[in-house]
Amino acid sequence: MQLQTLQIRNFRNLVNIDYQAGSSLNVLVGNNAQGKTNFLEAIYLLSTGKSFRTALDEDLIQYNAGQYKIYSQYQMKERKLSSLLYYKRAGGKSFFINNKEAPFTHSDRLRVVLFHPDDLFLVKGPPSGRRAFLDFVLRQLSLEYQFYLENYNKILRKRNFYLKNEQTKSKSFSIINEVFVEQASRVMMQRIQFTSILDEICGPLYRAFSQEKNHLRIRYAISFPVKSDKINLDILQNAMMDDIKNRQEKERTRKTSLVGPHLDDLHFYQDDRLARIYASQGQQRNIAVTLKLAELHSYKRIGGEYPLFLLDEVLAELDKKRRTLLLEYLKDAAFQTFLTSVAWEGIDQLPGTVFAVQEGNLIRREFS
Amino acid sequence: MRLPRPLENLIDQLSKLPTIGPKTAQRLALYILKMPGGEVKELAQSILDARFMVYPCPICGNLTDKSPCIICQDEERDRSLLCVVEEASDILAIERTGYNGRYYVLNRTFRLMEDGDLTDIDTENFQQMLQPIVQEVILAMNPTIDGEVISRYLHTIVEEKGIKVTRLAHGLPVGGDIEYADEITLRQALEGRKEI
Ligand SMILES: [Zn+2]
Repeated sequence: MQLQTLQIRNFRNLVNIDYQAGSSLNVLVGNNAQGKTNFLEAIYLLSTGKSFRTALDEDLIQYNAGQYKIYSQYQMKERKLSSLLYYKRAGGKSFFINNKEAPFTHSDRLRVVLFHPDDLFLVKGPPSGRRAFLDFVLRQLSLEYQFYLENYNKILRKRNFYLKNEQTKSKSFSIINEVFVEQASRVMMQRIQFTSILDEICGPLYRAFSQEKNHLRIRYAISFPVKSDKINLDILQNAMMDDIKNRQEKERTRKTSLVGPHLDDLHFYQDDRLARIYASQGQQRNIAVTLKLAELHSYKRIGGEYPLFLLDEVLAELDKKRRTLLLEYLKDAAFQTFLTSVAWEGIDQLPGTVFAVQEGNLIRREFS
Repeated sequence: MRLPRPLENLIDQLSKLPTIGPKTAQRLALYILKMPGGEVKELAQSILDARFMVYPCPICGNLTDKSPCIICQDEERDRSLLCVVEEASDILAIERTGYNGRYYVLNRTFRLMEDGDLTDIDTENFQQMLQPIVQEVILAMNPTIDGEVISRYLHTIVEEKGIKVTRLAHGLPVGGDIEYADEITLRQALEGRKEI
């Protein structure tokens, strides 16, 4: 996937941007609050319909404008496409692909992998972050997953409603449980299959990037006991039903669902030791970087094409050696990268398209 | 500029309708102002008639202006078949497939995203329809997660009476709506229905 042009109007402090993208590495350098991250945010919105910083579209409009507009032209599997997103203060958000109104789940939309400094805590942070990671990727990759996850969340909500109202002995509750377990197993199967692809891709990437001898393994951690070595929909459903029976009393007291993929996790191991506990902070960061690169490659493996790689201020968080390794990797990569940085250090050596960002303006830099 | 009160009123009322935004409401209102007076009266009267003369059939829930509805009165209908749908509009879609049995319309259906229990579904009339003459109940819920839950619930009710229960075959767009399914797909789903 290649972004060719990007037009931004009245989006935060970006009033009027007409951007011609470089085919591999695009670098935006500038001080804080100049508009670098806004630029990445605009691309991200075309992919997801949402911001990664605010839930309110109102906040995204330049303060004295009535609407913002983001327009892109891109190439996807040899096809030339365009997408347009605009938001009006009174009229809400509209999205178009090739001039036709489209949902944000449209399969021809841009796809991105965002690497944000918060992602460096993926290994160490709470399980919810790792589940959100899986859900984000799978939703971009599979319409089916989107559907299953949406169903699961609906039935989970209803199940909690029954628990809250102490209606767990009714016939309806057992029907809710049946459907709950079915949808849960579908969500889990997709997550498990994706994790094994991720695991395969991460091995060599981790060795190259961390330059350590230990082995990285990634496993999907199911939050209830499964006795079988084999995993399929039936086995998951039966194991989950058993666990529901075992935790019946506890669920009734706590009045909420204590079983299901909304409690699962992703485990990282370095030579059989859980990285969340045993790895150093540096190692945990290496794993996070590896994971983000693996996310890119998994799109290629499953969807047949690389998405765009957006790196927001990540360089500053890495030591010099890793920074150099990562930049080297991005420079020669088969995917297109958009990277922001506060410092010029190491960037003046790069062959990519480099811009300085000042007060919402992009100024092209040529190095000779 | 402030619009004349009656015009503003009309725009407000129209924009309460689904899929009609403020712009469309304004366009419709201005169009109505230019219509011949007689046509406007007919339009207003037809809205009132539809609203106050059409009601759910006390037997099957289908929309009707006489009691019972024409389907319930129709002696030619195959009384051994009973097809359960979520909304009366689904009947129109299923009629197009050539189905000739009777119907039961749930009308106020159950939604996972709303509070409420499955037992809130009014099944009293439904149970009334499950007479010995009925040999098969076809559950034709929308292929959504809501439809899935409703089907299972109704299944338990019909099962207790010892009547055969079938469901539409897959092939309907997942997450879709029976009302909008094309005729061929729906006929195939009906013909390929499976016992559960
Ligand atoms: Zn009737």
